[in-house]
Amino acid sequence: MSTTLDLAAEHISKQIASTIEPVLAMVDGWRGVLETELSGPFAGALTGSSEAAAETLDPVIEALVGGELERDGTLITGAGFVAAPGYLRDAQWHLAWWLSSANTFGSPGTAVLRRLDAVSDPDSEQFRDYTTLEWWRVPERTGRRHLTGPYVDYLCTDDYTVTITTPVVADGEMIGVVGADAYVARLERELLPVLREWNGNGTLVNASGRILASTDSRRATGALLRLDGLSAALAPLHEEHSAQATQLPGGQLVVPCGDTTLALVAEDPAEG
Amino acid sequence: MPHAAGRTDATRAVVFAPLEGAGRAALVEQRITDAIVAGVLRDGERLPSESDLARSLGVAVVTAREALVSLRENGLVHTRRGRDGGSFVTFDPDATTRLVESRLRSLSRVELRDLSLHYAAIAGMAAEVAADRASDDDLASLADIDARADLATAGGARRAVGRFHLEVAAISQSPRLVQEELRLQAEAGPLLWMCLREEDARDRSRIARLDVIQAIRDVQPERARRATTEHIAGAVQWLIDEKTRIDLAAHPAGGAASSVADPAEGPPA
Repeated sequence: MSTTLDLAAEHISKQIASTIEPVLAMVDGWRGVLETELSGPFAGALTGSSEAAAETLDPVIEALVGGELERDGTLITGAGFVAAPGYLRDAQWHLAWWLSSANTFGSPGTAVLRRLDAVSDPDSEQFRDYTTLEWWRVPERTGRRHLTGPYVDYLCTDDYTVTITTPVVADGEMIGVVGADAYVARLERELLPVLREWNGNGTLVNASGRILASTDSRRATGALLRLDGLSAALAPLHEEHSAQATQLPGGQLVVPCGDTTLALVAEDPAEG
Repeated sequence: MPHAAGRTDATRAVVFAPLEGAGRAALVEQRITDAIVAGVLRDGERLPSESDLARSLGVAVVTAREALVSLRENGLVHTRRGRDGGSFVTFDPDATTRLVESRLRSLSRVELRDLSLHYAAIAGMAAEVAADRASDDDLASLADIDARADLATAGGARRAVGRFHLEVAAISQSPRLVQEELRLQAEAGPLLWMCLREEDARDRSRIARLDVIQAIRDVQPERARRATTEHIAGAVQWLIDEKTRIDLAAHPAGGAASSVADPAEGPPA
């Protein structure tokens, strides 16, 4: 693969990164606001309460994420804060998650910003211990932001989703995650035109090799891309957010997309 | 008669069928009964008010009221008056057992087999696609569901089967299969998995689960589908045998003839 093609693939991977990175930056911003609110010299400035409680925190979260959820052209369909079990004074398990009007799950026909109605009673058959789910587990283990999906989010919206979560730390402990959801269908509309700028087949995969979008119509979103050496090439994405471009034995170029933990798998136009 | 012509008339008839009346109240009653039996609505939980219920289900208030009256008569809800009043779910394991049994009696063999075929189509396809799409993390969560399964009780075994099938559907990456899996679990889960009352059915459910996990691990879609659909077929076979036993016990004089004609069967509830 020539250097010119390398550069073209790098260019596309940067464009993909610049499509998604504003969402990452926004989530990081929310994290900053919450960490300032929940510990340190300015603790309680927004809630007016020195003790973290769902009752006072929820309106702050809604104000924080509501604007973006209602913004025309936003990529995200859900956003909010999920508390570590036992952290809040008045709620053992707590999801403060809002859904945009684009998301009509659970209440068809309504088109307003609304709160996710989650089961927080651990005795209920519908209750899910969210600390076992990837969007909680991975940030908890790594202490860093994580992109989960594409996956069917049956806890929240029943839709095909990508979720970005980042740990919220107060006094040295992870007290929850803050994050946002985006529909894969919406991302596909944004990302396919970018991928098509590549002159061969371009496939965007997550760190597990699961396809998020591809210019090759036979490569279904959600399927695993099975190529020689791909797992090894993607492995660094699990550990560090930016990794080096590599070439697979089959000639495909694997180019990480900035800080997103996604990678572009570009097949040489001459072979494709 | 050309099938297409008959089909058009039938679908037109559905379009213009009356929307109000006793049929709708029975549907509302069945939906809420299923949810209580399946544990979706919990003991002591307050139901929405008549008008809220009517609005969310898209029926008249009088229809919702009629359904609540029947639910009360069946002992599934009780009503308290006053400021903190309303309709509250009453969950009684014995009453639930009786309800599932009466549902079993009210459904014909044809309907039971059709239900299991529908469920096998969803769960089997989900397993087939999941075998191609499961990551190592997905396999770990399937193994985790199996490890946490409580096989000591019928309810525990049923929850494990439900959670496992739901996770397999999620691994197939299809929102539609997930939604249909959830819907069918709420509608028919307790009926379909009634066999889990018996210890060897619970053991077989675990063997089936391990077989599906192994097929997914080995990326064998056909085997994952077959293990799933055969498990469901076994459950419905048990159900039909149980129905025959219950029907014969209720009408012993019918003898061999009743097991063929099923005289106890009425219209579906």
